[in-house]
Amino acid sequence: MTIACVAFIGPQNNPMYLRSLEPASDDQYMKLHYVVHCSLDAVEEKVLLKRGPGDVQESYLGLLYPTEDYRVYGYLTNTHVKIIVLLDDEAPVKDDLVMRVMKRLHNLYVDTTSNPFHKFGMPISSPRFDAALESIVSVYPRPGGSVGGFKT
Amino acid sequence: MQKPLAPSPAPGTGPTPAKKPTRRCAEVCLELLCVECVRLFHDKQSGPAAAAALEAIGYRVGQQLVERYTRDKPLLGDTLEIIKFVCKDFWQALFKKQVDNLKTNHRGVYVLQDNGFRWLQRLAGPPPPGAGAGADPGREEAARQLALRYLHLPCGLVRGALGHLGVACTVEADPKQLPSCTFTVRIT
Repeated sequence: MTIACVAFIGPQNNPMYLRSLEPASDDQYMKLHYVVHCSLDAVEEKVLLKRGPGDVQESYLGLLYPTEDYRVYGYLTNTHVKIIVLLDDEAPVKDDLVMRVMKRLHNLYVDTTSNPFHKFGMPISSPRFDAALESIVSVYPRPGGSVGGFKT
Repeated sequence: MQKPLAPSPAPGTGPTPAKKPTRRCAEVCLELLCVECVRLFHDKQSGPAAAAALEAIGYRVGQQLVERYTRDKPLLGDTLEIIKFVCKDFWQALFKKQVDNLKTNHRGVYVLQDNGFRWLQRLAGPPPPGAGAGADPGREEAARQLALRYLHLPCGLVRGALGHLGVACTVEADPKQLPSCTFTVRIT
């Protein structure tokens, strides 16, 4: 399983953090932004679908939709923050593996927001956050992968 | 509210080391901090400005706390579920008890009643009746005004928590009879 990209979208659908785990040019970043943006609709659809009577909606939304290059997985927190993860290989992936990654990313996000200097709604620009994210993702190594950066 | 001080181990860093006992903070520290906070702001600024400042602090802390307390919970649905979450889990985590009574008019107003609000427990109430007929209402009113000062912070906490969960509202506190207190939430 190779994670291509991780994105955090805020409650007002504002991008807070988007990081490509492979070296990417500006054009590729545009493409990633586009894919993540489209996935927001899929998130809303999934939430509306499951809201049947007596249904308990879980945070992990599973596979949102496959594009030609990536598979998009989503996670919605109670504070309406969406965590989008793009996987880019064809091999079938176990759901609970992705769920574990999502939970770790959620924990990281919660720890980051507990920082008194954190500003809600602004993009997350913290070296510690970057490093922790890399260490979460590096558990699932990608061949020849290196750091890509998100500059606002 | 006792919060562990030790940071959580960094995720994904191999086998977790033997868990160190989490350090905790005595509750009296929080109480003293709140008291001093109220005093500081009321000394530096006049009444409404100090109230607004304290409420803003509470708002921010409420946002951060609710991120943490909703972390492992399934998604909350409508407004009523969110209010119930605040009444039960949020209140339990902050004040070691749940809200005692929740009333609503089903038109966007919710009244949360806490018969024994933890942050007002240490506040001396008005003197018992029998001290003098004319003095009682005046003293009670003074005690109520004093209690209101300490309620700006909790109001901000509730407003921040609800706002961050998607429910924009205003919160007012009414210390009817110390230490019991009602919080009125009006959905905007």
